[in-house]
Amino acid sequence: MSALLDGVLAVFEPSVMLCLSVGVVVGMLVGMFPGITATMAVALASGFTMTLEPVQGLAVLLTIYVAANFGDRIPSILINTPGTPASIATTFDGYPMAKNGQAGLALIVSALVSAVGIVASMVLFAGAAVPLAQLALRFGPSEMFAVVVLAMTIMISISSKSITKGLLAGVIGLFIATIGRDPISGDARFTFGIRELNGGLDFIAVIIGLFGIAELLDQLLTHRNHEVKPISALGRWWPNKSEYKRIAKPTAISGLIGLVVGIIPGAGGDIAGLLGWDRAKAASSTKATFGKGNIEGVAAADTASSATLGGSLTTTMALGIPGDSVMAVMIGSMIVWGIQPGPSLFVNEPALVATITAIMVLATFITLAINLVRMPMMVKLLDMPKPYIWATVLVFCIVGTYATTNNLFTVWVMLFFGVVGLILKRCGIPAGPIVLGLILGPLAESNLRRSLLIDGPTGLIDKPISATLIGLAIIAVVAALGSPLLARRKAKRAKATLLLKTVPYRLKATPPFCVNARPLAWTAPLYLAPRVNFPRSAKTSARRSPASASTFWATSR
Amino acid sequence: MNTRRLIIKAIAAMALTGVAYSAPAWAQDSFPSKDITFVVQAAAGGASDRTSRAIAAELEKDLGVSVIVENRPGATGTVAFAHVAEQPADGYTIGFGPVEFAIAEHLGYDFDRADYTYLAQVMNSPVVLAVPANSPYNTLADFIEAAKTTEMSVSNSGAASSFAATTFTLAKLTEAKLVGVPFDGGAPAVAAALGGHVNAVTAGAGETASAFADGSLKVLAIFAEEAHPAFPGVPTAKEQGYDLTFGAWGGVYGPAGIPDDVKAILEESIKKAAASQTFLDAITPAGILPVYKTGDEWKAFVDAEAARYAEVLAP
Repeated sequence: MSALLDGVLAVFEPSVMLCLSVGVVVGMLVGMFPGITATMAVALASGFTMTLEPVQGLAVLLTIYVAANFGDRIPSILINTPGTPASIATTFDGYPMAKNGQAGLALIVSALVSAVGIVASMVLFAGAAVPLAQLALRFGPSEMFAVVVLAMTIMISISSKSITKGLLAGVIGLFIATIGRDPISGDARFTFGIRELNGGLDFIAVIIGLFGIAELLDQLLTHRNHEVKPISALGRWWPNKSEYKRIAKPTAISGLIGLVVGIIPGAGGDIAGLLGWDRAKAASSTKATFGKGNIEGVAAADTASSATLGGSLTTTMALGIPGDSVMAVMIGSMIVWGIQPGPSLFVNEPALVATITAIMVLATFITLAINLVRMPMMVKLLDMPKPYIWATVLVFCIVGTYATTNNLFTVWVMLFFGVVGLILKRCGIPAGPIVLGLILGPLAESNLRRSLLIDGPTGLIDKPISATLIGLAIIAVVAALGSPLLARRKAKRAKATLLLKTVPYRLKATPPFCVNARPLAWTAPLYLAPRVNFPRSAKTSARRSPASASTFWATSR
Repeated sequence: MNTRRLIIKAIAAMALTGVAYSAPAWAQDSFPSKDITFVVQAAAGGASDRTSRAIAAELEKDLGVSVIVENRPGATGTVAFAHVAEQPADGYTIGFGPVEFAIAEHLGYDFDRADYTYLAQVMNSPVVLAVPANSPYNTLADFIEAAKTTEMSVSNSGAASSFAATTFTLAKLTEAKLVGVPFDGGAPAVAAALGGHVNAVTAGAGETASAFADGSLKVLAIFAEEAHPAFPGVPTAKEQGYDLTFGAWGGVYGPAGIPDDVKAILEESIKKAAASQTFLDAITPAGILPVYKTGDEWKAFVDAEAARYAEVLAP
C-alpha cells in the first residue's frame, strides 16, 4: 500500500509538476494545430526528456498525450478540421452545433466527456490492466478483420439520408486506401510512377483536405457579409440539467466502446470515435438530429476516443505491445529509462503503475480546468471577420501538413483533396464514410490476407470471436438496409394508385447506385466564379437559405 | 529628400548583395562552415530516428556546426534517399541509410545504390527467430524439421523487410514450408506470436527482448556472427548448422561525389560519434549492436547484401 502511495506522491514533487505544466501547454497546442499529431509531439519531446528522471519524463510525455486529446476537439468544433485523427467524429455534430450558435456548449460538453472518458479508462487500467491486456492477445488477424468488417457497417449510419451516396463515399475511401504498396506482396498500386505515392496517400493530409480545406473553399465561394454573426455572443456555455441527462447514456455506451477499441492494438481514437458515435446514434431517441448538431453526438464521439487512452496504455504497459502510435514512441523512451513494459511490471513495480495513473488523472484535471476557464477566450477569436479566420486556417493547415513529412507533395495532396471534398460536398456525398473507408480499408485488406495466409479460408469462421463479430456485422447490415427498404415498399404500395401520375417523375429519378450528377453540372459556374458582392448574384445567394446552404451536413447529407 | 533616401537604400542593397555573394567565397576554406542537414527516412520516434539523432548530436559537438535532423518518411525510405541524392555533394546533406539500401531496388522502387557516397556503417540489429512459450520446438533444427512436413506461419514486420527475407531464405535453403506473414511493424508481428496466431516470428532483438525476458517467447536462434547480450544462452543460427546472418543494419551516407577531403572529415567524425557513449546509450536498450565499418567496407557490404537479396526477392 505504501508503495502505491509513494507512487502517487511522486507526482506532486515540484519538478514533476513543472514537467506536467510544460506537457499541458505543448499538448494543447499540438492538439489544436491541424496536422501535428500527439505522436509527432511525443516523438520530438522524447529527445529532450531522455536525460530527465523517469517520473519527470513520463510526466511530460503522458501529459502531452492527454492534453492533445483535449486540444484536437477545438478545431473540429470551430472550423470543421480535426486537430488529430482522433477527433474526426467530433466534427459530425460539433461543427453543426457551432454553426447553430452552440459552439460554447459543444466545447464544454466535449471537454467534460473527454475527462470522463480518460478518468474512467484509467480506473480500469489501474484495477485490471493485466487480465484486460490478455484480451488484446486474443485478437489475431482473423479477429481484427471481423472487427473491421463490423466497423464498416457504420458507413450506413453515417450516410444519413442517402444510403447510396454514403456507400459510394465509402467505396471512394476504400479506393483511396489502395493507393500505394500492397501490404503483403509489396507491389505498387495506382502509383503512376510517382515516388511519393509508393507510401500511400498521407492520411492526415487527406482528412485535413476533405474536412478543413473543403469547408474553407465552400465558405469562400458562398461568402456573404450579412451572415457574419459573433459566435461567442450566441448560446450558453454550460449544459442544463436536461442536457446532462441526455448525454449520460451516449457517454456510458461509447466509453465502453472506447475502452475495448483502445485495448486492441492497432485500433485507436479515430475508429473508437466513429464506432462510439454510431452506437450512441443507434441507441438514441433523437436519431434524426445526429449529424445536424446533436449534443449527444459530440458526447459520444469524444468519450469514445478519449477512453482509448487508458485502453492503449493497458496494452502497452501490461504486454509491452504499443496500443497506438503514441505508445509506440513512448515504449522507446521507457526502455531508455530502464522501464521494461510487460506483465511483470505490474508485479515488480506497483509504485510506477500508481505514478502513471496519477499523472494521467492529474493531467486530465489540469487540462480540463484550463479548458473550462480559457474556452470563452478561444472562441472570441472567431469574432474576427470570416476572411481573416479562414486565411489563418489555410496557413495553419498548410504548415501542419508540411510538418508531417517535410515534403511539399503532401501539401499538394491536401489541397487536391480540398477540391475533391468541395465537389463531393456539392454533390451531396458525405465526407464521413470516405474517411471511414480510408481508415478501415487497409486494416481489412491486410488482416484478411494475413488470415488467409495463416489459416486458409476457414480461419474466419472457425474461430469463435471472429465468427460472432461477422455474424453481428451481417445482422447490422440487414437491419440497417432492411428497415428503410420495407418502409419504402409500404409507401410504394400506398402510392400504387398514383402510379400513372408519377411516371414523368420516375423517368427523371436517379437509378439506384448511380450518383446524381445534375447538381454538379448545374452549379459548375459557381465553382469557377467566387460570388463576392456581385449585385446580380446577390439574388441567387439570398434564395439559398443561410441555415441549410451553409451548413456542411445539411447540404451534403 | 526622397531621392536621398532612394540613394541610401540603393547603396544599402548593393552592400547587402555584396556581402551575400562574398560570404561563401571566404567560408569555403574549411569544411563545416555552415549547418549540416541529416535526413532520416523514418518518422520521429523510431529506431532509425533515435540512432540518427544520437549521431547528429555527436557530430555537432565534434564539427562545431549545427546538425539539423530532418525526418522525411515515405515509400520505404526512398523519398528521403532520392531527396539526398538530389542535393549538392558538398557534405552538408547526409542521411541515415538503413537495410532498405539493399532491398528497395528488388521491389520495384526507383532507387540506385550508385547514387550515393557511403560514409560509414554504424549499427546492426540482428534478426532473431522466436516461437511462443507453449510451442513444442526448442531448437532451430526442431522447428525446420517440423516445417518440412507441416506448413508453418512466421510473422514479420513487413513485406520489404530483412525479417521477411530471413523467412524466405530459410524456406528456400531448407525446403521447409515456411509462410511469411507480413505485419505493419515489428510489435504487431511479435503480438501475433504471443497470441498464438502464428507459429513463429522473425523480428529484431529489441522487439523480442522483453517477451524473452518474461518467458512468453522462446528465442530459437539469432542470425548473427556472435551471441547477443540480450539473449543469454541462445545460440546463433551458425552454431546450429545454418550459416546465415541477417540484420537491420544502418549507416551514414551522402549524395554521390562528395570530395575526398570533405569525405575524410565526415568519416573521421562519424567514427568518433559511433564510439561515443551518447550513441551507445541510444541504441543498446533497443537491442541494437554498434558495428563500425568504413565507408568503402560498408559499400562493399551493401553490394553483397543487395546481391544476396536479389536471389531471395526475385519475383
